[in-house]
Amino acid sequence: MTTPRWLLCSHKHQTTTPRPNNTPPTIEPPQHARTNHSNPLFTMASLTKLNADSHLLLEQPLLRFPHDLSRRNFKTAQRYLENGTKELTTTLAKATKAASKSASPAASLESLDAMIQKMQGMKRKLEGLHEEELRIHKSSKARLQYLQDLYDVQSLDDVKYEDWSQKRLVRLLVDYLLREGYVESATQLAESKGVNDLVDVEAFVACHRIERSLREGKRTAEALKWCMENGQGLKRLGGMLEFELRLQQYIEMVRQGHEAGIGDGVNGLGDGGMSLGSGNGASRLVEARLYAKKYLSASDDFELVGRAAGLLAYRPWDGVEPYASLYSTDRWNHLAEMFLDTHHTLFSLPVRPLLHIALSAGLSALKTPSCHSTSSVPIPITSSSTPICPICSTELKELARNVPYAHHTKSIVESDLMMLPNGNVCGSDELRVFNEKVGTVAGWVRDPLGGRSGEAWKEAAVQKVYIL
Amino acid sequence: MDELREQIELLQGSANLATSIDDVQKTIELLTAARAKIETEPHKAPITLATLQSPVKASLEVAQKDLKPAYFGLNKYGKALDKKFKDKPLPTAENDALSSHPHLINRAIAMHLLREGQFSVASTFIDEANRNPPHPEPTPGTPNPYLNDSWEKDLAKDALDSKKLQQHFGAMYHILHELRQQRNLRPAIEWARERSDVLEARGSNLEFELCRLQFVCLFVGQDENGHMTESAEGPFRAWAYARSEFGPFQIRYAKEVQQLMGSMAYWQNIVDSPYRQYFYNESAWEEVALSFTREFCSLLGLSADSPLYIATTAGAIALPTLLKLQNIMKEKRTEWTTQNELPVEIPLPPSYHFHSIFVCPVSKEQATDTNPPMMMPCGHVIAKESLDRLSKGARFKCPYCPNESHPRDARTVFL
Repeated sequence: MTTPRWLLCSHKHQTTTPRPNNTPPTIEPPQHARTNHSNPLFTMASLTKLNADSHLLLEQPLLRFPHDLSRRNFKTAQRYLENGTKELTTTLAKATKAASKSASPAASLESLDAMIQKMQGMKRKLEGLHEEELRIHKSSKARLQYLQDLYDVQSLDDVKYEDWSQKRLVRLLVDYLLREGYVESATQLAESKGVNDLVDVEAFVACHRIERSLREGKRTAEALKWCMENGQGLKRLGGMLEFELRLQQYIEMVRQGHEAGIGDGVNGLGDGGMSLGSGNGASRLVEARLYAKKYLSASDDFELVGRAAGLLAYRPWDGVEPYASLYSTDRWNHLAEMFLDTHHTLFSLPVRPLLHIALSAGLSALKTPSCHSTSSVPIPITSSSTPICPICSTELKELARNVPYAHHTKSIVESDLMMLPNGNVCGSDELRVFNEKVGTVAGWVRDPLGGRSGEAWKEAAVQKVYIL
Repeated sequence: MDELREQIELLQGSANLATSIDDVQKTIELLTAARAKIETEPHKAPITLATLQSPVKASLEVAQKDLKPAYFGLNKYGKALDKKFKDKPLPTAENDALSSHPHLINRAIAMHLLREGQFSVASTFIDEANRNPPHPEPTPGTPNPYLNDSWEKDLAKDALDSKKLQQHFGAMYHILHELRQQRNLRPAIEWARERSDVLEARGSNLEFELCRLQFVCLFVGQDENGHMTESAEGPFRAWAYARSEFGPFQIRYAKEVQQLMGSMAYWQNIVDSPYRQYFYNESAWEEVALSFTREFCSLLGLSADSPLYIATTAGAIALPTLLKLQNIMKEKRTEWTTQNELPVEIPLPPSYHFHSIFVCPVSKEQATDTNPPMMMPCGHVIAKESLDRLSKGARFKCPYCPNESHPRDARTVFL
């Protein structure tokens, strides 16, 4: 971690840290007390103290996601076992009955073989789920260990905290990359940093596959299958995703019906309307109606159901609202967004990337009015004792332009400030050290910001500044 | 944490699908046994099947029952999670100011990866980001992100497309590798020498520090490639090196050069000499490496530590405070009045302060471009607006000392 300019050169700087050499602080007359950052509310110890519990705000999804995944995994296993049991007992009962009647051993053997095969199939499936389960638990354990490491760190200035926080950044980056669909980079980054157990590449890849199938493939099948697999969770959540998917499926059937209707010739289109009489198109429309009856009629949104029914009478190219917007291909984007929202909520994932959340807060906490100032002196490159502020650095400068700057109730300046004739202010220690270093003639001073060949003034022209 | 770990260990150890899978295997064995029996005694098929029914049913029931520990285990772990994260909501998107600037985020990430030396990840990322450019989304601060989108895209393109940054950082990592792993100072010294004017103007000691370390290495008996040689020759080599290289440092570093030369007198027993600290300083290499990194990044206009790292870390430190604020505001149904400034102070460690901050002792407001700090002739500083309000354009008394002055004598302070 870089040290700010005023800590680099000054041991005299008044802070509440214990001095390395344990010299007592110099006593200053009260009205000219040195300014400092030691706000009574925030002592140095409290500023650097690490409260692991409150630090976990960003980490909840880290543990929740695998837990939700393993619950889903378990539910699937339970379903397999239940169905398998039911199936086996009925087929066995049937086989027994058949055997008692016809007494053909060959048939009995055959049905037994089928049963054995079924059971073996089920066993294989369960083994696959068991493997997945153990993988998830292993990663959960690694995550707990990673969080435990944080509890073992006491101070934000500790090198161990930096290591931990670097790892967290990798995690946030991978999460961001996965959400943006940059799977290759995410995988590479996670592997090169050895954090595979701390990130959920497969789960996000699966999520994106479904999102793409909606947005680009314009198919509902994958998303509907996902709804099936997560039925219980979705019921608890009470969202509209499945209904909207069914509605879309219906819309597509109606669209196909109308489009096929053109090919059926003029018989149905005499007066510009569509009759549900005959032809290929008409039969598709009938199918669509049956589909709607099966999946959509249970909804209590009568208005929407009514509109859906109206589609049968209005063709996609009629351009009549509200039917045109139901036919619109924009609905696929809407469904994709809705799927992502539902997916993230179901698995306790924040809707926006964690990186955004951490970075937004961090930009504001670090930003000062000077960062985007047009009038203050350009500090960055001229002095080597000044680390460049992260907000002023190219990476974040534009990004931080629109966030609010941090609130301060106390000035934070070097101790013993001196004002140079050009209006620039700097700490007396820094001034002395710089001028010694650049070899300014005794009795004269140069501005550290002006560099080695800057203007020199007589020492008498330098004035002490008091900032309260 | 301990409770969570215990639960996970239980889930890993026994409370999982393993037992049920064994039960299924037993069922399969029952079926195979029955099959074998029917094969050997075909006439008993009906009775074999009939007697098979209840054991098969029982065995599968056991399989279902054996799921219970896993079920309870998962529930218990979930409850422990609830307890752990009680009162800790998932972070919401309310503070999100960034979704409207995805290109800038991608640029920051690309630069971060490059500066960390993750060149291959960076190039994969740049490739993917170019193939699938991100879409800005409106945020409270930027309700109409598409206005700036193309401009930001161009800005990001520079960083994403140019191989320059990668070359820079490639060079930096080469030099650092030579320094840290090979203990070879030559590339670093060459780099510093080429830029010695700029470095000197910045008041940087880097070049001298590197050369001094080279002197020390030669003295204790390493040759210029970092290999150990007959140590008796060391001081002579060092002396020759000083003669040829220290010339330009004579004026600025007179004292340091003198000390190094003084150490020559102790060449036989440097350990017990007053110069020991120069020669047996384990951290010297790491120090020059850090100082080199800082200078290298500064010359590129970049901070030495990754801004992305510092900002996300600061953000994590700030989040609890911001969350508390959000809750209070929700309760009171207020919004902050000053959009430009956070309404609450974030307690960041001092190492996260990079600029001087001036808060006017009269108005308690932070100085800005339009309201800069002003110093009165007595040396006390207040913000310009406070000065105008106190003086009303005429002579006035300093609020902190008996001195009287005219506002036109006050001078703007550049902190």
